[in-house]
Amino acid sequence: MFSCPKFGWLASHPGKTAILVCLITVLFLVFPVTDISAQKRFSQTFPAGQNIRLQLINRSGTVTVEGWDRQMVSVTASLEAPTAVITPQTIDGTILINLVRDNQGREVGNVNFNIRVPVTSSVDIETLIGNLTVSNVRGGLVRAHISSEGDIELTNIAAFQVTAQNGIGDIFFDGEMLSGGNYRFASLRGNINLRIPFTSSFKLVATAPSTRNISLGSFSNGGMNYLGDGRRVVGKFGDGNSTLSVTNQRGSISFIRR
Amino acid sequence: MSDRFSMTCGDCQELLSRFIDGDLEQERSGIVIEHLAVCAECTVMCDDLSAILVQCRESEVGEEVPPNPAALWRRINNLIESELPAEIPVEPERKGLFARGWNLTFSQAGAAVLAIALISSLLTIVGIRHYFAPPGDDISLRNETPSVFTRVLRKVGLAETPQQARDRRFREQESAIDYWNKRVQTRRASWNARMSEAFDRNLFEIDQAVNEYTMILQNDPDDQLSEEMLDSALNEKMNLLRQFSEL
Repeated sequence: MFSCPKFGWLASHPGKTAILVCLITVLFLVFPVTDISAQKRFSQTFPAGQNIRLQLINRSGTVTVEGWDRQMVSVTASLEAPTAVITPQTIDGTILINLVRDNQGREVGNVNFNIRVPVTSSVDIETLIGNLTVSNVRGGLVRAHISSEGDIELTNIAAFQVTAQNGIGDIFFDGEMLSGGNYRFASLRGNINLRIPFTSSFKLVATAPSTRNISLGSFSNGGMNYLGDGRRVVGKFGDGNSTLSVTNQRGSISFIRR
Repeated sequence: MSDRFSMTCGDCQELLSRFIDGDLEQERSGIVIEHLAVCAECTVMCDDLSAILVQCRESEVGEEVPPNPAALWRRINNLIESELPAEIPVEPERKGLFARGWNLTFSQAGAAVLAIALISSLLTIVGIRHYFAPPGDDISLRNETPSVFTRVLRKVGLAETPQQARDRRFREQESAIDYWNKRVQTRRASWNARMSEAFDRNLFEIDQAVNEYTMILQNDPDDQLSEEMLDSALNEKMNLLRQFSEL
């Protein structure tokens, strides 16, 4: 009769063999199938000019936007179950993706976006929950807004108008402040850290009424005045060519020299 | 012949005008002449009528041909030009203080001068205050005490006190928050657990901040910075409710 010496142990332990087979079945069949059914991918590219504007309104999930040297916008997203509907629109030089409107009244899972835009684009991102990251953008506008929880990280940004606002979470800005620009950062509870060049020139109103923790670092000079028992700092750094407003209701504010 | 002698003075006088004009037939004209030869009364009438008609003809001829047409047109033009200014619309009748133009009484003129002096003084004060404002956002000035003028207006009830303005604003915000809160309650059932928890945590943080600023303002109603932060926190609460109600 047929016999194989390599499988002799299996033949001699039929109960353990059955358990092993079951485990292998679970590993190779159940988990991959579950993963495939939960994650879907969305991918689309758009031709773009120099002054393209991206407007994204997400419900929950992370959003990462990065500037690149190509004249096109690439949008990829991984969708968790129940999968959301994504219907991008291009209207007058604006690429609009509105998941709140497209999925109103439905329960949907996280949608995690990874977007590439031309460096000179304007970026306007909103989400209800989730982290927002924008990097290498030097357009007219960068706006990042989280209605509830999530961190905002803006790195290598040089835009005339920058707005970052969240509820619970940190805000980190690492970029340039352009002459005539307008910069606004607001948080309910978290740490706001601003890393800017020492050559920056701005008028400042920084308010941290609860913690009174406002650290100006290298930007502390005679032109800065503490008001309201240290709850607010008002002053001018350099020629004051741009406007900087920072408000943290229940957190700290720190300036870091770039 | 009988016709000739049978003409009465009345018949003759009826035909006199046509006779003088030469419109009568030859036969009837001869009968009129025969009657005039024997009737002194009709002859006098005929002479008078002839004189009138000659006078009329002479005056008609004088009017038909103007002695100097160019002069006549100049007169007409002068007449038209002299009447043009009269066509300028007449100003409506003025009423009230200016019914007599700028003829003000001494007391009115004095009051006007005082009013101008007061307004220009106020504008100067406002201008100086803005000129010497320190650099930075206007928000930074909110801790300053109100001006004497503002306090006077508040005393006489022409301006809201800070407390009144704050109460009114907060009432408006509270009513908006109530509206959005009702919408959130109807939608909340469709949220997943993560969404509900995140919403509750953020609402709790905002309410904590609102309570903190409210307590500070109860102890120090003039703390403008806390008022501003309370305003901001209530706006954030309103926005949070509004955005989650759209899900």
